[in-house]
Amino acid sequence: MSERISKNDLRQRAGEWIAAGKAVAGPVQVKPGTVLYAPLAAADALLLDGWIRPSNSIKEFIFPRHEALYGYRIDGAGITLDDLPAEIPEQIIVGAHPCDASALPILDKLFNWDSRDDFFNRRREATTVITIACTAHDEQCFCTSVGLSPAAERGSDALLVDSGDGNYEVRILSEKGAALFGAAVSGAAVDSIAPDGSALSPAPAAGAPERRFDPAAVAEFAKEHFEDPFWREHALACVGCGACAYTCPVCHCFDIVDEGNPRGGVRARNWDACQFALFTLHSSGHNPRPAQGARQRQRIYHKFFMYPEKFGETLCTGCGNCARNCPVGLGVLPLVSEICHAESV
Amino acid sequence: MSGTNQFEPKIVAFVCNWCTYLGADLAGTARLEYPANVRIIRLPCTGRIDTNLVVKAFEIGADAVLVSGCHPGDCHYSAGNYHARRRWMLFRELLDVVGFDTRRLHFTWISAAEGRKFQQTIEEITDKTRALGPYRPYEAQAAPPPSNGAAVQRRAPEPDFAGVKQELRGAARRLLEEGKVKVVIGYGASGPVFITRPEDSDRLEWNENSLANLTVYLKRPEVRALGAAAVVVKGCDERALVVLEQESQFQRENLQVIGVACGGLGQPKCDACDTHQPRFADLTIASAAAQDAAPGDGRYAELERFLEKPREERLAYWTAEFDRCLKCYACRQICPLCYCERCLADKNRPQAIDTSPHRKGNFAWHLSRAMHLAGRCAGCDECTRGCPAGIDLRLLNLALARAAETQFGYRAGMDPAAEEIVGAYSLQDKEDFIR
Repeated sequence: MSERISKNDLRQRAGEWIAAGKAVAGPVQVKPGTVLYAPLAAADALLLDGWIRPSNSIKEFIFPRHEALYGYRIDGAGITLDDLPAEIPEQIIVGAHPCDASALPILDKLFNWDSRDDFFNRRREATTVITIACTAHDEQCFCTSVGLSPAAERGSDALLVDSGDGNYEVRILSEKGAALFGAAVSGAAVDSIAPDGSALSPAPAAGAPERRFDPAAVAEFAKEHFEDPFWREHALACVGCGACAYTCPVCHCFDIVDEGNPRGGVRARNWDACQFALFTLHSSGHNPRPAQGARQRQRIYHKFFMYPEKFGETLCTGCGNCARNCPVGLGVLPLVSEICHAESV
Repeated sequence: MSGTNQFEPKIVAFVCNWCTYLGADLAGTARLEYPANVRIIRLPCTGRIDTNLVVKAFEIGADAVLVSGCHPGDCHYSAGNYHARRRWMLFRELLDVVGFDTRRLHFTWISAAEGRKFQQTIEEITDKTRALGPYRPYEAQAAPPPSNGAAVQRRAPEPDFAGVKQELRGAARRLLEEGKVKVVIGYGASGPVFITRPEDSDRLEWNENSLANLTVYLKRPEVRALGAAAVVVKGCDERALVVLEQESQFQRENLQVIGVACGGLGQPKCDACDTHQPRFADLTIASAAAQDAAPGDGRYAELERFLEKPREERLAYWTAEFDRCLKCYACRQICPLCYCERCLADKNRPQAIDTSPHRKGNFAWHLSRAMHLAGRCAGCDECTRGCPAGIDLRLLNLALARAAETQFGYRAGMDPAAEEIVGAYSLQDKEDFIR
């Protein structure tokens, strides 16, 4: 069963959810030229058209950039740990992109692998993702190269497909989505990508970005070229910031910090990124990834070789945020294009 | 006073060991009573009082801060207080732009003989702070909801790309063929490129995306390892080179500078640019666009418009801006002048700046970043261009640049022979804000 909803009705629904006290987030133009997924105070701010994709990703609503884990108190009796209030409000993300939504099942595997990460899971469970299929792409988009498409259903609770007349066709993909739209589930979201990276999602609509590379070939290159001048040469431009990792829908590294005073404080986790020199620096002073080449290599390795080997899928959804946000023109697609170029020479 | 429910402010006083601390001691031995609201922190010299300590004091609950040291001429380390005075002049301007209530920050000179002045100062600060009420931390501010603003019209980028590109390629090829350099740092199709073989010179491009300030690579060990370099700079980028040279970060004779006269690339900084022409390059590639470009003025116009907003509005603006900060440190990494081997933000013994991207950590980070570039920032705006969250760091840099220009007649990166303003002092420095 599929329903239809007009853009105005969607906005109105979002307004109702906000009024009902739910935390609603979606794409917002925060200032000229900057579109971000951000909490919506009013549905008017929700941006539905006219842009490629936000500079950040929806991961921060489920895996926040800063999250207090628990409190601690130090006194004469020793150390007391305090659970922090775990009330996670019901959260709705409206207008996610397929490359954002499909990141969530990929992250589920990581956060439920050797132990269940309650902090991640409780937010994940409290979140409903309403995705809008893409109708436009730019030269950095490459979802079709990693087995997805502008209308991929994976990770979404509902997918809205623009029918071109101011309406969306609503595909309900989970019970959470059904509850929100008061409709029945119309079909389970395609939940996996074939190991060879081929698309199991619905075939890309016309106007989808063309397929740019084969992830398996990148994995093959990575496996064969661990020690290779390629990495040093192609990381020369990298200035070592975390813009790529922090705006990536699937990069998930974090750091644990204690913040407080001698009487107590809070233990928190913050995002961290493999491009920082400090990321792997040992307290002895030794750094196993001493130069930027090793750090760029790590990023490609993790996404196309290590994660697929461990979890059976590519740690990349082809959103292109890394390249769009890189101040010096690097990112997965530029680097992988160079790999394919090096392979073919 | 005691026994009532009135607000008792906490006042942190950072004082120097030699004068104000002894002044406070004298007040005690002379049985001069002053409010118990003050917590004195003794440091060797006002020159040691990092502005981050002031931020830190407010972070952990101070309602007002006093910084106090020896009178001019009395510093026990000759000039620590003069250096401090300069820093405060700049710091106050920065605080003003971010909407911090500077009435909570006090500066005094109190000698070892001035027990009475110490007593009166503390009494006054306590009364004033009591009237102001508790400091409402930056973290407690309500951020305004984001709004959809109108797009800003910019000057059209210059059309004369092809000619410049050909000349750049020729220059790079010659330098590499003659063996003068091992690498040419220039712009490629999608970002910076590092040309090491003459036959690769045709990878060099010049277009509206030639935005990066390539002098940032002079600090990268991976690039240094390539050997003698030539770097392509626009007139604006070259200012960073001047500062790096003043700060002995490279040997000018070991660097070939290929200047490009540029007519503007459509960036906010281009509107008021008065450095279209590189001035110190070994070779300058002229462009017709640069010939026609009139030197812009009104370089602080944007800042001045911003400063017309009431203080509370400025604070709310920066609250929303800093809330978007991810702590990805693109602003720091892309800055040619942020070259410390280990940044203050990366040190944790002690943790000078919280690493968390929460309000407290972001406020301390952005104030520190801007202050560390006070009187040094060459205005290339790379921090702002690099920010994935669109934070307008440019305004903070402009505030400090304007302070440097109006108070010291100094513009960073304009004159390699000029004396830098940070790390120097003058006996005539303005001190109308110090009691």
